[in-house]
Amino acid sequence: MNTLSSTQAIEVPTLMELSHVSRVYGTGEAAVWALRDVSLTIRAGDFVSIVGPSGSGKSTMLGLLGCLDVPTEGTITVGGEEVTRLADAARTRVRGKSIGFVFQQFHLIPHLDALGNVETALLYRSLKPAERRERAMASLERVGLGPRADHRPVQLSGGEQQRVALARALVTEPKILLADEPTGALDTKNAANVMEILAGLQSTERAVVIVTHDASIANSAARKISMLDGGIVSDEVLR
Amino acid sequence: MSTFKDLVNVAFNGLFARKVRTLLLLLGPMIGVAAIIASVGLTDSAKGDLKQKVAKLGTNLIEAAASSSFGGQNPTLPTDAVERALSVTTVETVSAVVELSNIVVTPYEEAREKFETVPIPVLGTDSNLPEVLQVDLVSGRWINQFDEESDVRAAVIGVGLAREFDVLPGENRTIELNGISYGVVGILNSVELEPGFDNAVFISFSRAELDFLNDDVEPNKMYVRCTEGTEKETSEALKTAVNLGGPQEITTDIKSEALELAAQSDRQLQMIVISMGLLAIIVGGLGIANVMSISVIQRSAEIGIRRALGHTRNIIAVQFLFEAIVVGVVGGILGVLLGMLAIFIGASIAGWVFVMASWLAPAGIILAITISILAGLYPARRAAALEPLETLRLG
Repeated sequence: MNTLSSTQAIEVPTLMELSHVSRVYGTGEAAVWALRDVSLTIRAGDFVSIVGPSGSGKSTMLGLLGCLDVPTEGTITVGGEEVTRLADAARTRVRGKSIGFVFQQFHLIPHLDALGNVETALLYRSLKPAERRERAMASLERVGLGPRADHRPVQLSGGEQQRVALARALVTEPKILLADEPTGALDTKNAANVMEILAGLQSTERAVVIVTHDASIANSAARKISMLDGGIVSDEVLR
Repeated sequence: MSTFKDLVNVAFNGLFARKVRTLLLLLGPMIGVAAIIASVGLTDSAKGDLKQKVAKLGTNLIEAAASSSFGGQNPTLPTDAVERALSVTTVETVSAVVELSNIVVTPYEEAREKFETVPIPVLGTDSNLPEVLQVDLVSGRWINQFDEESDVRAAVIGVGLAREFDVLPGENRTIELNGISYGVVGILNSVELEPGFDNAVFISFSRAELDFLNDDVEPNKMYVRCTEGTEKETSEALKTAVNLGGPQEITTDIKSEALELAAQSDRQLQMIVISMGLLAIIVGGLGIANVMSISVIQRSAEIGIRRALGHTRNIIAVQFLFEAIVVGVVGGILGVLLGMLAIFIGASIAGWVFVMASWLAPAGIILAITISILAGLYPARRAAALEPLETLRLG
């Protein structure tokens, strides 16, 4: 095993940087330190897993990485922009532009078909309806669901739903793809299929981050960050 | 602009996905608007009917009748009452009538037995009556100066009597007044303000005097047309002008006043139904607020994912507000259509003219939209306030 060399860090663009980040819930005596002084850099091409038992702070970490939450202390930079200084609306736009999400429970909108769900990610971006449709369709085809574009979530299997969620996350061409227990609700076969797609998504411009408590999933990543009690205990490159 | 289109699309999708709920939401503004449109429209239609009558008859017709404060029987006006009335400067035209009593009218002498007990009014009058009442003749002519000055026995009959006696328009016929034959020279059309004229017989004053009265003719009623807008003053002035300190008194009556009064009493009904319609709309609005608040909770995962996908709080708020607005617009339009249908059916049944003020439709829709916006504000704010992190239940 080798650690990241400093030369690599200069060559490869940094997508996201967490610097001395802490997240405290509640105040005074009831205060809970979900994260304590965490620093982390995610670069283009990273295929990272964040692993740890419940209560280790990985959900809090996911919220911060996804710009869904702001830290109590420390700074977070996404694509050179310090999101910790941004107002909610501006932070939301950074999220929409730079980050794609995949959730354990898929979180598809039930009354929209697969295509409509993927299109939702492209709304309010001044796109022509035809162009939006075309891009959403292309994204669905990328995960092999082109023929199922007009199916509603209830008409799709779990694996297919998660692939729709993947297509939705990818359609905006995000720099960082955040997956929260992406295989948690799937059987082994579908889980393997989704992991295969995820593994193929990281590129020279994109990082894929998987948050999981499943060691085998974590070990399939190229870089594994282990968490415990609100801190990072190890950050290792597996291959 | 494309953002606006996106929002409308998202709102429609959200509403279409829950058809039954959306239908129930629509009912509130729909019934409210329909009730308001129907109440205003129906009372307007009824009013429109009355107004048409008033316009046709004119508001400036005054009836001046002889009266007696001493309770004397058959009070009369002075013989020169018409000249006295014309001395009032706001009076334009005057016609006097005298009702003759105890005259049996029959189509021909042999039918006397059949018609003896049927009271048919016979009136002596002058040549001005149709002009003053603004009524025309179905056929023939009215009593004229020639009838007044010659010994010719000419009579005009009301259209109802003509029907009764089977008198055809233009037919040369006579009728018998106490056995005296009169030539029917004309048939008078219905007089809206004096329904009794439909079955009356009109003859000249001079003939009335010669055949049925032993005295000079003293009219007991006058019809006066005054300058438009001076009805009240003219009524008062007439009393003095006709009476002139003599024993004969008159009471005056502005004929259109009763109709205008009828139109006013409808307005109270209108207000009651409008308030009920407003109540329905407000209750409908509360329903929208309530159902949408629940909907926000049920759709919290959807809101969370939309926020994660980069939709701002404002976008989420406006999305929910648009759903409310769509309900308002569609409910309003359906309400207007339903209201129009109600007016149409109501007016057809009552035999009124369909009247719907042009401001009613836009006002109804605007009202529905306003209420739905107000109702949508609270759920929209709640939706926007949701924290995506809390709604997405991260693993």
